[in-house]
Amino acid sequence: MSRYATLTDAELVRGCRADDAGAWNELVERYSRYVYAIAARGFRLSDEDAEDVFQDVFTRIYTRLDSLRDDSALRPWIAQLTRRRCLDAVAAKREIPAEEVTEEGSSDLSDVEEAFEVREALAELSEPCQDILDRFFTRDQSYKTIADELEIPSGTIASRIARCLGRLRNELEAKN
Amino acid sequence: MDGDYLELRLGEFLERLSADGLAPGGGSAAALTVAFSARLVAMVARCSVRWDEAGGVSAQANAIGERAVELSYTDGRVWEDALTALRDAEAGEVEDPKRDFALEQKLEAAAAAPLEIASLGADAAALAALAAEHGDATYRADAAAAAALAAGGASAAAHLVRVNLGVHSADPRLARALASEQAAQDVAARLLDSRR
Repeated sequence: MSRYATLTDAELVRGCRADDAGAWNELVERYSRYVYAIAARGFRLSDEDAEDVFQDVFTRIYTRLDSLRDDSALRPWIAQLTRRRCLDAVAAKREIPAEEVTEEGSSDLSDVEEAFEVREALAELSEPCQDILDRFFTRDQSYKTIADELEIPSGTIASRIARCLGRLRNELEAKN
Repeated sequence: MDGDYLELRLGEFLERLSADGLAPGGGSAAALTVAFSARLVAMVARCSVRWDEAGGVSAQANAIGERAVELSYTDGRVWEDALTALRDAEAGEVEDPKRDFALEQKLEAAAAAPLEIASLGADAAALAALAAEHGDATYRADAAAAAALAAGGASAAAHLVRVNLGVHSADPRLARALASEQAAQDVAARLLDSRR
């Protein structure tokens, strides 16, 4: 893990303003999935349109970062930039003015927001916890597969996942 | 059928199950049995307010239930594909390597779905064992019922792997299916026996 990965958003923004290439890389790494998820899942843009939005949003972040008033509000600012750019893309497809386009997929957008919050909280857990939760919930591995690969008795897997979920819940509660 | 079985009312699903079409069949029913088992475990965990790990167990049980429901539809679809391909192959009068390869692929997919259903059955049974041990005693019978359902689903699914024409007796997939079946049955036997 790079030292940039542990920086808060506000520290990251200060690094970017100081033209620190490592900070820029971390910002893109931290928010690339978020931007793409809003475009692809929240607004259901095609891969090609989502890619265009992605490029455009990060260009705007790069050129307009000085206009961000509160450095700790990086995520809502990126979300706003992305939503606006997505609305433009939808309007262009339908050949109507952008202001006439509504955010139809608002529940999907809140899902994206929630998923990102979970991902952030997950990053605060120990590596063994991150690993076992990823195996069960993301990779859909069975208890037997997890037990075989991690060399843990099969019977303890479910308990261990439950404990890690408890820690994840504590992290989420602390953040909110 | 488009969509998945969750879009149907229970009565409609049962009608389709007993209709003379191909899917849904035994694999879909086995998957839904595992889903019932997993959701029952989630209920026991939710009702066990003094159990520290209840929230985590409930989340896992729901995840297993969701996967099982998805598989109930997948199994029906891949089984229908395999059966159609098999009938085409039987009707063909000349050898056709391309057709035979396609059939092999479809049989493989038709074995993969019940193999995963059996594995989910073993996992649901493992959670039922935890719920029976740590959950509220009032719901211990529900945990045992969940284990019995998980074992039934796992056994049915393992049987479907066993009879798949693309699976031979020494096939590792069969060994895995049978191991899942055995694990689920062991839990069910233990929990059902404990109150006799």
